[in-house]
Formats: sequence, structure tokens, C-alpha cells
Amino acid sequence: MNLQDFLAMEESRERDELIDLRSLDLVSEYDSHLMCPICHCPFVEPVRLQCDHVFCGSCLSSAINSFRSADSDEFPCPSCRNPTQKVSASVPRLLINMCDEIRVLCPLITEGCQEIIPRGHVQSHVEKYCGYRLLPCPDNSCDQMTRSKDVGMDQKCIHKVRRCAHCKENVLEHEYEEHEKELCPVLEVTCADCETVVTRGALQEHIESCPEVAIPCAASKYACPVKIRRADIAAHEQSCPIVAMGPYFETQNARLKSLESSMRHLQQRNEIFEDGLANIRSTLFESTRLGANSHSGGQPPQSDREQQSSARVDAHTDDPADLAAGVFSSNATTYLLSLHESLREEVSQLSHAITDLDARASMAIMNECMRIKEDIAHTNAAVNSVRMQVQWLMNPRLHQGTRGGAVRPSSTESEGTRTNMASSVAGPSHATGQSLGPLRPRRPSDSGREGTKL
Amino acid sequence: MFATKRLSKMQEHVPPGIAIVKCDNLEEWQMDIKILDQNPLYLDQTYRLKFTFSNKYPIEPPEVQFIQCPDSTGTPRTIPMHPHIYSNGIICLDLLGSAGWSPVQTVESVCMSLQSMLTANNRNERPPGDQEFIATNRRRIRDINFVYEDDNV
Ligand SMILES: [Zn+2]
Ligand SMILES: [Zn+2]
Ligand SMILES: [Zn+2]
Ligand SMILES: [Zn+2]
Ligand SMILES: [Zn+2]
Ligand SMILES: [Zn+2]
Ligand SMILES: [Zn+2]
Repeated sequence: MNLQDFLAMEESRERDELIDLRSLDLVSEYDSHLMCPICHCPFVEPVRLQCDHVFCGSCLSSAINSFRSADSDEFPCPSCRNPTQKVSASVPRLLINMCDEIRVLCPLITEGCQEIIPRGHVQSHVEKYCGYRLLPCPDNSCDQMTRSKDVGMDQKCIHKVRRCAHCKENVLEHEYEEHEKELCPVLEVTCADCETVVTRGALQEHIESCPEVAIPCAASKYACPVKIRRADIAAHEQSCPIVAMGPYFETQNARLKSLESSMRHLQQRNEIFEDGLANIRSTLFESTRLGANSHSGGQPPQSDREQQSSARVDAHTDDPADLAAGVFSSNATTYLLSLHESLREEVSQLSHAITDLDARASMAIMNECMRIKEDIAHTNAAVNSVRMQVQWLMNPRLHQGTRGGAVRPSSTESEGTRTNMASSVAGPSHATGQSLGPLRPRRPSDSGREGTKL
Repeated sequence: MFATKRLSKMQEHVPPGIAIVKCDNLEEWQMDIKILDQNPLYLDQTYRLKFTFSNKYPIEPPEVQFIQCPDSTGTPRTIPMHPHIYSNGIICLDLLGSAGWSPVQTVESVCMSLQSMLTANNRNERPPGDQEFIATNRRRIRDINFVYEDDNV
């Protein structure tokens, strides 16, 4: 809903609200996120702004009434100063439930009600159930008020006074019985521990000094379980180790406390800094928008409003130097952006160059490899042919060797092999692959197998 | 009124360098603040602030100014030198004007902002036109139209 509707709704609501939930006394701690930043109480009827900040409905409406400039439809959020036009009453159910669950004291505590109730029930408690709400006395002749719990079934007036026979005090009729039995200070009682008889008025005093009453050890808050007669307690405290530790515990406690408080202060300081940062950020954002608009010559009414809001963000008066500063900072931003863009381009160019280089290098390596492979194949072939020749040459030698074992080789024969050898050196080089004559009947394909045997 | 509760909450946790001097009624408070770092301008000095709350606080800003205490009180206090603080103690801070105030601010946050305003300052001077201002100004602080010329102090 827009601001006008919201204000109208808040106004109509305030009339039928009876209890100010924000003035209640809370009995327990609650999550700090449930605290309205304006009234510092758990949210009451929370509403949400466009920026997601939540406030109590009535806190927000009073803030709007004093911060909105003359009936404009915009309003700066109290927390982040973002201009906002819409107020949404749809706050998460969870948030409302958590706020309603917070335990508070009954506001009629001044009348004596001790009850602790969830905050969501306070209204109905005070209206219907609280025993301490004041009703007119059922006796029409009496004009006093009566607490609702004192109005009995019989609808009697309770304001009649009766004088106590023992202490001569005036006591209300309905309290007389209780007074006589328990409260009257003149009556005598016996101390339950030492059996001395004292008046009721002096009982409290007696209990505080009675040597028979069991009292806890002085270190009971540090978990000493001992609870003995007052007469013996001094002896125990002499020997109790926890009493001896007492001062140490106390200093530790104090240290913990001071650490906690310094933590809290740091947290606060941090929050203030974060706030400042958010302010700076929104100022920057506004000024870039402003800069962009003045560059493109945006529509005059809109840019007008933005000038206003930017002025509001800085909380400056309309100072032209300030606007100039805004434009300047937007220039700086665009400069940085363009710098970033050009750097990005450079990087992508470099990565292109690197891929190119990579491709070229691997092509060169491939070519080189092919060449080397071919060379190796040639060399292999050459080696093979040499081996075959060697084989061919060796064969007759071996032959001769086995024969020579029986007949002594003559010098002419050995000379003959030598000439054979010489003539065959040139021979196989152009007759590879062909039949090698009578002395060499093998096929060249066997040469591989032969080679491995060698 | 919840503002009363809100103010009394502050008394539980006071940030470092800040001390409550007087808060017995909820219209006027006095606070002592110290500058925590080693700024030579404010070294070892304590300054006294006076907060005056209207019945519309925190919707309306409190009036905040530095006040002087003579030596005879036992706690002599002076007005800190700062180009945004007039010699009669009136502070020219956007946060405290009707336009710059936000109801989410608290006494603590105002004190801490003033601390950091002093911490960041290195000019030992008064605002321009200080003498004329204190001679002629009779208006309430809230109604003065300050021009928040520069942000850097
Ligand atoms: Zn609130
Ligand atoms: Zn916001
Ligand atoms: Zn009650
Ligand atoms: Zn009566
Ligand atoms: Zn009596
Ligand atoms: Zn006794
Ligand atoms: Zn003990």
C-alpha cells in the first residue's frame, strides 16, 4: 500500500488500541533481530519497507509524519535512507509469532499481579483474565473499586473494616481471616529450629540470627552443596576449598564480564561502520545514476528528483559543488570500467596468441618427428642389408670351420675365401632381396630371425 | 512513553571512552567523552556533552552541544577545537540536524560519531565566522541552518 493508505490505517488503529505493548516490562532476553530500531522494543504490528527493513507500524508512521517532505509520495527509510514509496504489512508470520511469544509482566503489576504472559496475550489477559483489574464494587452503595479476584460469588462489598482484637489495627473484612491466622504481628510463634517462642513481628529478625537455622556455605554460588547450622558454618568455611577459591572465581567472573562488554562495544562500533559504508555505497550508487542520466540527458523531472534524493543521502544542502562531485565520481567509475574492459581485451588477445603459438609448435614437432621416423626407417633398412651381407659372408666361414676340424685348412683355400669376401662386398649391395646365388639359398625374409639369433 | 525505556536501556552498556555524568531526568543528559586514539589535539582531554531530549525523541533529534565547566567544579571541561564546533559548543554535524537525523540513531551512536569526528580531525581551528556566530546566534540549535560544506573533517 502507499504511504497515504498506511498513515490512514495507522491512525484508525491507534484509537482502539488499549495497551502500549512497547511500555511492557520484558522478563527474558530476546533476539536482537526482533528489536525495532526506532523504539528499541520487540516489533509491535510490524510493517516492511521496499528495502526489507522492518519497523513497528506506529514507529514508522510517526517517522513518516516528521520526515516526509510535504505530502510527497516518497520517504527515506530510517535505517538505510533508501527512498521508499510502498509499505507492506505482509511481514513473515514467523517474525510476528516470535514477537508475540516474548514473555512480559502483566502491566497491572502496580496492582499486584505477578503473572508472566506471552506478549501476544497481554491484551486479553488485562481485559478478561487478570485478577487485578479494577471493577466497581458490586455493592451499589459503595463507590470504591475492587480487584476482580476479590469479587466473590456472593457479590459482597469488601470494603467494610474490622478492628483486630490483638493488635488493634484496622483490617479489611475479607482480609481479616488471613490477618488473624498469619499476619498479625502480636501473635506468638515458635522458631521451627531452636524452639524459642517469639512474636511474629520479631520472627524474621530471630531467623536471621538463630544459631540453629541451617544456612548455605558462603561459596554456595560456586556450587558448594554444604548447608548446615549457623553455629557450625564458620568451622566449615575455614576448611571449605571452594571458599578458598572464591576470590579466584570472582576475578574470573569479572574478566568474563569485561570481555563480554568489550565484545558488545566492538559489535556496536562495527555496526556503525557498516552503516557508514552502506551510506557511502548508496551515495556512490546515486551519483552514478545521476551521472548516467546527465550524460544521456534523461528526462528532467526524474533527474530532478534524483538530485534531491542524492542531496538527501549526503545530508547536504543543495550545493552545486556537491553535484559536480557526483558527476566527477561517476566519471572516475566509467574510467575504471573502461580500463577494466581494455585490460580484459588484452588478456583475451594474449590467450589467442598463446593458442596460436601452441598449435604452430606442435605442428613443427610433428613434422620433425615424421622426418626422424623416415630417417630411422632408412637406417633400419640399411642396417638390415648390412646384417644380411655379414650373414652371407659368415656362412661359408662357419662351413669351412666345421670342415677344418677334420682336414687342416690349406693357405690357398683361406685365400680363396678372402677373395670371395672381397668380391661379395660389392655384390649384395645391388642384389639385396634377390637370390644370393648357390652359396646363399635363404630368402631375405628369414634374415630378421637370423639377426635375432646373432 | 517508550522513549523513556529506550533511554534507560542505554545506561546498562556504555561504550568505551563514554561516561554518563547526569541522567536523572529524561529531558537533559550529560555525557563525558574521551578520544581513544593518540590524536595530539585531544590527547588526555575529556569533553562534556549536553543532550536535550524533546518529547518527540527519537523521532526528533536531541539537541546536542559541548558545554564548558569551570575549574571550580573539580572536573574542568573545555570545548574541543574543531572546524565544525563553534566556541560556544554548538556542533555543526549533519547527523544532528532535522534533515540528517534518523530515528534509529541513539545517544551511543551520536557519541561515537562525535568521537570519530574528533578522531579524524587534524585542524586546530574554529569554523569560519565563529565570533559573529556566537555573538549573534540566539536561535535554538535545531533551527539553525547549517551548510555542511565539506565531508572530509
Ligand atoms: Zn518500534
Ligand atoms: Zn531500509
Ligand atoms: Zn495480570
Ligand atoms: Zn465496596
Ligand atoms: Zn492483628
Ligand atoms: Zn530459632
Ligand atoms: Zn562450603
